Amino acid sequence: MTLLSVEAVTRRYRLPRRALWSPPPVLTAVDAASFTLDAGRTLGVVGESGSGKSTLARMVMGFERPDAGRILFDGQDLAALPPAALRRLRPRFQMVFQDPYGSLDPRRTVGWSIAEPLRATGAEERGKVAEALEHVGLRPADAGKYPHEFSGGQRQRVAIARAIVTRPALLVADEAVSALDMSVQAQILNLLMDLQDELGLAILFISHDLAVVSSICDHVLVMEHGKTVEQGAVGQIMRNPGTAYTKSLLQAGGLL
Amino acid sequence: MIEAAGLTVDMGAGQAVREASFVIAPGDRIGIVGESGCGKTMLGLALMGMVPDAGRVSGSLTIDGTQMVGAGEAIWQKLRARRVAMIFQEPMAALNPIKRVGETVMEPMMVHLGLGRDAARARALELFREVGIPDPEARLRQFPHEISGGQRQRVLIALALACDPGVLIADEPTTALDANVALRVTQLLVGLAERRTMGLVFISHDLAAVARATERVMVMYGGDIVERGATEEVLAQPRHPYTRGLLSARPSPGNMRATGGRRGRLPTIPGSVPPLAELAPGCRFAGRCPVELDMCRGERPPQRGTMICHRSEEGA
Repeated sequence: MTLLSVEAVTRRYRLPRRALWSPPPVLTAVDAASFTLDAGRTLGVVGESGSGKSTLARMVMGFERPDAGRILFDGQDLAALPPAALRRLRPRFQMVFQDPYGSLDPRRTVGWSIAEPLRATGAEERGKVAEALEHVGLRPADAGKYPHEFSGGQRQRVAIARAIVTRPALLVADEAVSALDMSVQAQILNLLMDLQDELGLAILFISHDLAVVSSICDHVLVMEHGKTVEQGAVGQIMRNPGTAYTKSLLQAGGLL
Repeated sequence: MIEAAGLTVDMGAGQAVREASFVIAPGDRIGIVGESGCGKTMLGLALMGMVPDAGRVSGSLTIDGTQMVGAGEAIWQKLRARRVAMIFQEPMAALNPIKRVGETVMEPMMVHLGLGRDAARARALELFREVGIPDPEARLRQFPHEISGGQRQRVLIALALACDPGVLIADEPTTALDANVALRVTQLLVGLAERRTMGLVFISHDLAAVARATERVMVMYGGDIVERGATEEVLAQPRHPYTRGLLSARPSPGNMRATGGRRGRLPTIPGSVPPLAELAPGCRFAGRCPVELDMCRGERPPQRGTMICHRSEEGA
């Protein structure tokens, strides 16, 4: 069943003008990207910095509106929804960022931070924070601790707990394991797969690292300068990259 | 030439580096791998005489025959940049944001080598060309924020090469970079080490980069060099349980292990690197090791060939 459908989505940014009377140059950050993601599946989006993958993630999250094209979440066009309806829909799609230290309030207990998405929608909090902590391999008692009391990997677990506390159908992970040591990276990747199996999560997994993408994703979309250069099943693209760019990413990652 | 024997860095809370012994000869390319908090950077800083004030360095460290343990700052200043130079993590933090990058690269040549402005500028231009910075004349006049991450890393390499060091220590030189850019920076460092017969110490947790950059590798855990050897051999046939754990946790379709009808998961090392004060007095890896013995926690493991471990190879 299709959960997320992205249809020819384009996003342009106006850059600072170079001369006083010249029209400002336009950067097409995402150029007519299209894909679908089924419930419970994982799609990887890979590319170098500046390829547009984070812009794509922000549009899927409804943080930015596309200049052209549509994003349908469960059949509803995100850009066409009134703000109140978008807020009601928000618990169903959540995001995990690269830097858990930057995304958790250092002066609040992690229990407070994890409950934030619940408060935002006025949902019942009791029991849910403890349950989310257990889901990510932490203890309910950890809710009373502050972010600095955790290691980097544990902080990313806290960020994931916050993302799943509303029981979303879609998780957008933007470079969620890039800042972690390799052994911790493996733990978090396994955790995401466990959560997917237990909760039926669909994951949009944004990464510059094809090795990581190839181990967790079913399908992959390769982006370069805003354009989709290739998309398909991970195994097939790994075995038979269709473009020189994909090939260079594989080589650079030590996969070829 | 750098020779370390029993080199130890004690941070008060515990030993960040414990009795490290190794030799770096001209042209050697050595990798240091391990997770964050295992002492890689501290070892690099010890080779630069830049251990934080709280740290106490003991053992022996000679640079071109001079004993540097206990040496004063004046002696270190004579050697730093000229004999040993370092590329630090985070290229943005390592460059002065209000100084043109050309000025930054010229400074050590004027201070350490006594060059005049014109000579230093000419040499900076030459270095920019050597490290592959396009349009070097224009680059010299730019500020750090005006150039890309990959170019910034090249500026830092030029800066480290300014006084023609015998050994270059590169601390996570590729970590913040895109895979393609990382590959080119790695190739640049290898080429420089070969052309200049310069020693290269490549500190990284990126095993693919270490495989490309180095001939020998030292694996660190909890301040100990737990395994060492030819890079190719260690990566192909790791012996120490920690090295094995690190390599099998590497994300790749081939490393996935399926259990009980579920799709594959990556093998992991349980837990994470403990803080210095909580390290076991014996084997540092005790507590996370899958093949731990009763004695491991309390007794320091012996050197067995290329690794330190209580287990003989068959047992591990």
